[in-house]
Amino acid sequence: MYWRLILLNVLSGFINCSADINREKAERLMAETPLIDGHNDLPWQMRQLFNNELEKMDLNTLEKTHTNIPKIKAGHLSAQFWAAYVPCESQYKDAVRQTVEQIDVVHRLCRLYPDDLIFATSTDDILTAFQQNKTASLIGVEGGHSIDSSLGTLRMFYNLGVRYLTLTHSCNTPWADNWLVDTGKDTAINNGLSDFGKELIKEMNRIGMLIDLAHVSEKVMNLVLELSNAPVIFSHSSAYEVCNSKRNVPDDVLKRVAQKKGIVMVNFYNDYVTCQKTANLSNVADHFDHIKKVAGHEIIGFGGDYDGVTRVPKGLEDVSKYPDLVAELLRRGWTDIEVKAALGNNLLRVFKEVEKVRDSMSSVKPYEVPIPYADVVNPCRTMYGYPPQDNAGSMVSLGLHLPVLTLLLHGTIVWLF
Amino acid sequence: MLFLNPLQSLWTAWQSQGCTVTSLLVIVLLPWSSSTSVEQKTLDLMRREPLIDGHNDLALQLRINYNNRLSTIDLHNLSKTHTDIERLKAGHVGAQMWSAYVLCSSQDKDAVRLTLEQIDVIKRMCSNYEELELVTSSTAVRETKKIGCLIAIEGGHSIDSSLPALRMFYDLGVRSLALTHTCNTPWAETSSSIHRVYQRDISLTEFGKEVVKEMNRLGMMIDLSHSSVSTARAVLLISRAPVIFSHSSASAVCNNPRNVPDDLLQLLKKNGGIVMVNLYNRFVACGKKANIATVADHFDHIKKIAGSESIGIGGDYDGARG
Repeated sequence: MYWRLILLNVLSGFINCSADINREKAERLMAETPLIDGHNDLPWQMRQLFNNELEKMDLNTLEKTHTNIPKIKAGHLSAQFWAAYVPCESQYKDAVRQTVEQIDVVHRLCRLYPDDLIFATSTDDILTAFQQNKTASLIGVEGGHSIDSSLGTLRMFYNLGVRYLTLTHSCNTPWADNWLVDTGKDTAINNGLSDFGKELIKEMNRIGMLIDLAHVSEKVMNLVLELSNAPVIFSHSSAYEVCNSKRNVPDDVLKRVAQKKGIVMVNFYNDYVTCQKTANLSNVADHFDHIKKVAGHEIIGFGGDYDGVTRVPKGLEDVSKYPDLVAELLRRGWTDIEVKAALGNNLLRVFKEVEKVRDSMSSVKPYEVPIPYADVVNPCRTMYGYPPQDNAGSMVSLGLHLPVLTLLLHGTIVWLF
Repeated sequence: MLFLNPLQSLWTAWQSQGCTVTSLLVIVLLPWSSSTSVEQKTLDLMRREPLIDGHNDLALQLRINYNNRLSTIDLHNLSKTHTDIERLKAGHVGAQMWSAYVLCSSQDKDAVRLTLEQIDVIKRMCSNYEELELVTSSTAVRETKKIGCLIAIEGGHSIDSSLPALRMFYDLGVRSLALTHTCNTPWAETSSSIHRVYQRDISLTEFGKEVVKEMNRLGMMIDLSHSSVSTARAVLLISRAPVIFSHSSASAVCNNPRNVPDDLLQLLKKNGGIVMVNLYNRFVACGKKANIATVADHFDHIKKIAGSESIGIGGDYDGARG
């Protein structure tokens, strides 16, 4: 009887030692290579909780969110793409203004916490921040509805530091279809991507904006993987074969991502990890294992979706828990190279290549043909700038004359006064 | 540019709008010297001191005529506009505040997006042509060897009552915002009666005051052209920085609501600000026809009331027709 107890104690001690060794190794690897997470919705929480009045909160002590500064430090979060997200309900209304406000939130957070956060827009910036022991703060705009079908707006967002655009959130844009189309809960209107959508992809390549395929339909995934001259990302999506949510990436697409040398940054949301309301850290590691098996370790990254979802796995309750996940990967036999690839080297490779493609296209003129007016006509959109003949085929045939007359009248009045 | 005799020279100059300002300076200097030496003096002066014009709506014309498709035109020579690069050079324009203007009918609709597109077209224009250079500071304006491009938004409706939008416009390089165009915003009052929106008893609300303070904090010039006199007075009371009227003239010479009355000119003098004289016929002559002498009267008047340090030029080319 006693010898069983002794054996049990020795075994558990051995297991604990192993766990401690893996945990220590995880911390060491994370001190050598930056952990770059693809998607965190803290800016959205700032709007929800404080209406973007950042002076009303202290990120050092904030308890209501998955993310605060002590947790960032404990989690060795060295770089983060903060999501500038606005809801689909704002499409055709004030999406652009709201998105600008979310971009402003990230800028202000960096100014308010300069010892811990540093605004970043390039691979060099990420590495510099890592050397300074600060978290490089990048911006991803989550949803094509944020640019209101406007190439000028896309370019100006890039000027403001935005470095990825998720082509859709959970709604179609006039030029790209979203993942709900694959569930039957929405209807495709673009057959994937419209002609304007295809031009948008080229413009994103030209300016160096990372193309994010989280939230898009499978057709869009495949079209973009074919069209894009630069590698693409999935900022927060997991493996479809492990959990068959249409938000996740099927195996054939994973292989195409590998051919294109892109990246899939694994989402921690329970519903996309286990397809159920509950999950644990090991379930998340299963996604890492699967993607590595099917497409290789060079396309994997971390895209937690913290502060964007309500249900996160046991063991990954907040951004301080990343080292535990890394330790689990090590326990499963991941090599140092494979772990470092997933932590940040894969994303750095992708981002560097996107920058290279941008630089190689520096003599290409900006794409400037606007989306056909018929594709975007709605009560909150003026037809300002479109010649009257562009309105052929518009559904609002009666209302057409009013905008034209209004434009002429206003033009005349401006000149009179 | 050759001048055969003074009168003929002036008429030729008036017809060639790019040389209008040169002609203005000629007429100002005429009483004191022969025309040839005045012309020489004018050109020497303009070569040494860059002319900075406060307001040009070329970007509006690019939208109306070409839907911002710069690849379809050559900005060196345009037939449909007052402005092109050749004429800017002939007029010795050293720097231009380009107006990123969107119609009042876009207020509460797509004004923000349209404004971003106008900023985009100005930036593309200024980076596509080697004669132009985007500048965002007084130092850069002084030091550029090219025609400096400044970006100015014409109308508070462009920020959709959003201080973050104001800040992000500043980050994009915008350095001036006219608080209104011909429509009230929810927080400031226009001088115009065209649009009957946001009509309130108060000309600058508490939020409007916050906009002014934020503009001071950022370093964004406050442009009071198009604002009502009450709004202008309210701003002059609280602004810590000098303000501008980017394209307005003198009410005492032509009593139009777009112009600046003498009491405001006096407040402006104390503020250290500037009125950049608009060349539009209806604002200089209160009628359809005007000539260079009429414009010069505005310069003389403003100099008399507020001093020469309060005057500039804001032609309103490609915004005003006539």
